Amino acid sequence: MMSNSNHPFWRNLFRKNSDQTHEITEMWMQTPLFENIPYRRCRELVGNMHPREYRADETIFNAGDIGASVVLIRHGEVEIRTGDQILAELVSGDFFGEIALIIDEPRTAKAVATKNSELIFFLRSDLEEWIQRSPKDGAQFMLNISRILAARLKQTNQLISSQES
Amino acid sequence: MLQPFIQHPLSRTVFLFGIILLVFSFFAALLAPLLFTIIISFVLYALLDPVSRILERRGMSSTASSLTVLFILIAISASVISLLMPYLSAQVSQLQEQLPSVWQTLLSFVQETIQHTASSMKLDLETSNNITQPFFDEANKIGKTALLAGSNLLIDLSVLVILVPIFTFFLVRDYRHFRNYLLDSLPNNSFELGWIIYHRVTNQLQEYVRGIMIQSGIMSLITSIGFFAIGLDSYILLGIIAGLLNLIPYVGPLLAMVLPTLLALAQAPFDPWLIGAAIGVIIVAQIIDNVIVIPSVIANAVNMHPIIVIIGIIVFGNLFGFIGMIIAIPAISTANLIFRGLHQGFQTRAVLTDS
Repeated sequence: MMSNSNHPFWRNLFRKNSDQTHEITEMWMQTPLFENIPYRRCRELVGNMHPREYRADETIFNAGDIGASVVLIRHGEVEIRTGDQILAELVSGDFFGEIALIIDEPRTAKAVATKNSELIFFLRSDLEEWIQRSPKDGAQFMLNISRILAARLKQTNQLISSQES
Repeated sequence: MLQPFIQHPLSRTVFLFGIILLVFSFFAALLAPLLFTIIISFVLYALLDPVSRILERRGMSSTASSLTVLFILIAISASVISLLMPYLSAQVSQLQEQLPSVWQTLLSFVQETIQHTASSMKLDLETSNNITQPFFDEANKIGKTALLAGSNLLIDLSVLVILVPIFTFFLVRDYRHFRNYLLDSLPNNSFELGWIIYHRVTNQLQEYVRGIMIQSGIMSLITSIGFFAIGLDSYILLGIIAGLLNLIPYVGPLLAMVLPTLLALAQAPFDPWLIGAAIGVIIVAQIIDNVIVIPSVIANAVNMHPIIVIIGIIVFGNLFGFIGMIIAIPAISTANLIFRGLHQGFQTRAVLTDS
């Protein structure tokens, strides 16, 4: 967690500590997921996100695993694979696994860290809670994610068409 | 040779689930005397946490927001207690005065019935007395113990009043950090599964607790009105007790009939209609509960076989008393969700390994 844990009891009661959340918020704001969403709303969410570290060649998730989050690469590199085929090579600032934010279904591809990486997990449960709390921004977020998924679908359709012809 | 067995998803699930169960049982046994305090604190935490989070989003630190919601809680509790306490304490005193006579009336009633049966069956009265006397001695002991327990309840309540705000404050302030620390400590390959199971469990618990609180409130209201309408003394207190007992499935409604019936029995002058009416109020309330309240409020929050529910209530009741009977259902359904979640996770991995 990136929020203010481990602080002494009698710290300044009315000042919230400032930490790495700003940098991560800025990274999320650069992604199409947070387009047209105010900075402070994104920062609220970042406070509840989960940073994790992966070694080079460590599997982040397998196709078929139960997924519950979208993942942002803070440092490092990640490959998305199906079987032996590499679907995408992602670097710092990229995100993946966004389908798990929408549906409670197994992951559709495998993700592997190709370098030592620090990843930020944004859980579906936190998104659901946020949507209830801020429905307007939640609706914008869902619109953004729909655009991303629609673009992916369009790409896939074009790929299939080109292979058929 | 044991490798396939150890690698099997079900055996892995049973093993891990067993460890989790052991840890929970250890803490439950350790914290048994504080179980009620902890449960009340968690319910209050669930109610107050959203307020605390709103304050945090407005720039307050978690300590300041927790203190603020704690003061709000104390202010509301103090207002409610100062409004209701004089009335409730009068009813409790009235009930305390009545209980010994209720007990004596019940014992004399049973004694008379036995004597009447013995004489009609032409049994020797001395012999029948010899048989029944140990029962009455024991019953008297139980009665005295129950009265003593009643007065001990007041001491327990004072401890509760002191401890609950303290526990609630620390839950509001630190629970999320502690939870995140524990779940984030899971290995990378189990981290998401851990969060999925946690959210399934908390969603179900929230739905269940919300449902039974509404249900209990409605039942208290209906029975209080019913007892008032038939002219039973201490109707509000009896209604509250009936509402609380209603939290225990199957067994609770039966227990809820006992106290009003006994009070109706002891209320002078002796009125058989009042006894029937007291039982009738509980039955009507139960019908309303089963036909209207449960389907609309609790719905499928917990969908379990009645036999599992009854065994669970007996086992938990035996282990943790009255509170155990109330927590039996959510505890079993939580265990069920954890087991199914773990099995689902291990099964997925087994399929992936095989393929």
